[in-house]
Amino acid sequence: MHLKLKPIALAIGVSVAMTGMATAETMVFTAWGGSTQDAEYEAWGAPLTEESGVTILQDGPTDYGKFQAMVEAGSVTWDAVDVEFDFAYQAAEAGLLEPLDFSIIDRDAIDPRFVTDHAVVSFPFSFVLGYNTDTYGNAKPESWADLFDTEKFPGKRTFYKWSSPGALEIALLADGVAPEDLYPLDLDRAFAKLDTIKGDIVWWGGGAQSQQLIASGEAPIGMFWDIRLWPLQSSGLPIEIQWNGNLASADVLVIPKGSPNKDTAMKFLAIAASPEGQKRFMDIITAEDVEGGVAGSGKVQTLPEDGANQVTLGLEWWGENRNMVADRWYAWQAQ
Amino acid sequence: MTAANRPRLRRTGIGLALPAMLLLAIFFVVPVVSLLLRSVTEPDVGLQNYETLLATPTYAKIFWNTFMVASVVTTVTILLGYPVAWLLSILPARWAAIGFGIILLSMWTNLLARTYAWMVLLQSTGVINRSLQALGIIDEPLSLINNLTGVTIGMVYIMLPFFILPLQSTLRTIDPATLQAASLCGAGRWQAFWRVLLPLSVPGILSGGLIVFVMSLGYFVTPALLGGTSNMMLAELISQLVQSLLDWGLGGAAAFVLLVLTLALYAVQVHLFGTPGREA
Amino acid sequence: MLLSFNRMGGLRWVLVAIVVLVMLFLILPVIFIVALSFGSSQWLAFPPPGWTLRWYHEFFADPRWMAAIWTSTKIGILVMILSTTLGLFASFALVRGRFRGREILRAAFLTPMILPVVVFAVALYAFFLKIGLNGTLVGFVIAHTVLALPFAIIPISAALSGFDKSVEDAAILCGANPWEARLRVTFPAIRHGLFAAMVFSFLVSWDEVVIAIFMASPTLQTMPVRIWSSLRQDLSPVVAAASSLLILLTLALMLLAVLFRKKADR
Repeated sequence: MHLKLKPIALAIGVSVAMTGMATAETMVFTAWGGSTQDAEYEAWGAPLTEESGVTILQDGPTDYGKFQAMVEAGSVTWDAVDVEFDFAYQAAEAGLLEPLDFSIIDRDAIDPRFVTDHAVVSFPFSFVLGYNTDTYGNAKPESWADLFDTEKFPGKRTFYKWSSPGALEIALLADGVAPEDLYPLDLDRAFAKLDTIKGDIVWWGGGAQSQQLIASGEAPIGMFWDIRLWPLQSSGLPIEIQWNGNLASADVLVIPKGSPNKDTAMKFLAIAASPEGQKRFMDIITAEDVEGGVAGSGKVQTLPEDGANQVTLGLEWWGENRNMVADRWYAWQAQ
Repeated sequence: MTAANRPRLRRTGIGLALPAMLLLAIFFVVPVVSLLLRSVTEPDVGLQNYETLLATPTYAKIFWNTFMVASVVTTVTILLGYPVAWLLSILPARWAAIGFGIILLSMWTNLLARTYAWMVLLQSTGVINRSLQALGIIDEPLSLINNLTGVTIGMVYIMLPFFILPLQSTLRTIDPATLQAASLCGAGRWQAFWRVLLPLSVPGILSGGLIVFVMSLGYFVTPALLGGTSNMMLAELISQLVQSLLDWGLGGAAAFVLLVLTLALYAVQVHLFGTPGREA
Repeated sequence: MLLSFNRMGGLRWVLVAIVVLVMLFLILPVIFIVALSFGSSQWLAFPPPGWTLRWYHEFFADPRWMAAIWTSTKIGILVMILSTTLGLFASFALVRGRFRGREILRAAFLTPMILPVVVFAVALYAFFLKIGLNGTLVGFVIAHTVLALPFAIIPISAALSGFDKSVEDAAILCGANPWEARLRVTFPAIRHGLFAAMVFSFLVSWDEVVIAIFMASPTLQTMPVRIWSSLRQDLSPVVAAASSLLILLTLALMLLAVLFRKKADR
């Protein structure tokens, strides 16, 4: 009496297939929290779940110490992580990232400034000069140089606190350096220029703080993330943006080396960096009725058509020199 | 009762501390030592990280700032906290309860929310400055934030309850008869304070002061939000090194130096004043 | 006479004045937070242009806030119990023990308070990754207990050292076994120290943000982590609303405690 192999094989085959289908793909998406992460999830995560049944768990906030620890231990719990671009360069050098699979991700459709072998754009932004029109009346700052002019534009000015692309470039541009000649950064010259207004600088450490500083009038002028000024404008505050010389950069998505759900994460990155994904994201964070945080209403002063002399920040240089600059930056701040 | 079954007062040995010791040994000593070892192995084997710390003026300044701010905060906390602890320890229960209630309420409110509230209150366009200007007390806004003043205000605010609660519990244990005896011996109030009350309160002051000083050394939230960059404290620096710049070697070295310095200060304190919380 | 309120003379009004000022100082930000939570200005302007309950709606509309509060409370209570218990036993050994290296042990117990938290956080996290405790409730509680232990040991030791042991010894000589004696004689006498230890241990865990970030997982987000992200990312009085609700809760609990004690006294 032999066992009926064919039906048994069929049964086993079907049950294996069914198990394959029943095991849902999951992944963990980590970003900086707040309504920005909510918007990112809604723009990229929700569509992924809809189209492939993937379960996306959210974790956060991003912490580079935690990132390195988990990769080193080989026990990675994050799959797609939103990080700063210069960190992405440094992490790639240190072997902490998975190389991206561009057969899944459409590289050509992404702004080439914000793609590398290990990272794709998540959140493009610009550093712009923001100022309070009530404080300054008719005087309008025309360029970064005016940020250093305490006679025409008196009062405290606010700068980004952390060692990061932006402030040093602003100082150099204000001092007359041409955008093409910015890199490698002349740190001595930049610090000398910043020294001229150091006593008037109030540092902001997070987006929310920058908003609070200019909204309260504590610092009526300074360098800001463009996206932070829009909701202030749309809520009626007398704040204007000077786009001339705005500094373009982006936050990016990376996949930690050893991620257990690498392939799913690739799909997530593909959606995020795609033109449709980016547009969806922008629409959400500038939507009218989103409460709090980055949202604003339609009346948003976006980047002029001609780019207004936009300068792209040299993130590759920053990635290579991140720690060196940080040492000098914190030393200068501590003086 | 014969000598055989008379209850004996046993000497207390180390046994009771063993569970706590085990917890610390496994979950504190082992992990931390492995990390601190990286301070002498990253990026290369040797003491370069320590050299960097001691030789670079920036780091020396940050170390100095940290101990200085902690000292200032502890002193102010002691000066403001002692009267409060004193009064609370002698007030009738109903009034004391209100005092405790306010203290506990201030502690219960989330730390970040409290610090942010101070940020908004202390700004030059903030409530305090505007009120003072409206009342005509000052013409120009006072610079209460992004400097040592701001950090001190913010940290004393957080630390006061940690000092007041232990101190008032010590003060309660002081026998009022001691002071009665002093006045019977002819001591005036001032003398009674200096020579009787204050010395008796020292264990409480040391306990509370120790908590406040050590906490202030390691604090980073409040100094980060209320201080200026020129008084950056060690905790913020180490946080940057470990969580942003991935320089665990240097971060570990800085932490180790802080640990050694603090333990040294503690040893000095014990030598001079005796151990806080030790049987007299 | 310095330790009697009624017989201090003029000095007591000086004390009262100082204490009232300090109390105002302590309560000012709390009142401010509550006021802000009802203000209509998103940018924390004060006085606000109008009043609204919007932030409270937002708070209740997002289940993650309540989840975070619950997580923090759960962890806080577990830490409070564990830390106070371990600290109590350790304090007995530290205060009364006669063994060599007692002072060194005491200093060792204080070390978690001295070492910068972020170093401990990274080290413990890396260790947990190896033994699989990362992202678990057990790991979280252990991490916070290590931090809270010094905060329990210090007040309990202080209270214990001020307690006259001979009372406890007398009880033992009268026939009580050592732990019974402690339970009925010593603990009530040091209850202020125990109370401080419990309060401090809970609060150390409740407000702690650095370790919480490392121990966090999608299902284990505590209040401070949520507030930290929220404050850095979003400028919104929702945080003020969350804090105000907790203040309300605390006031309610305190009131209950007072009423309960009044009843018990009768």
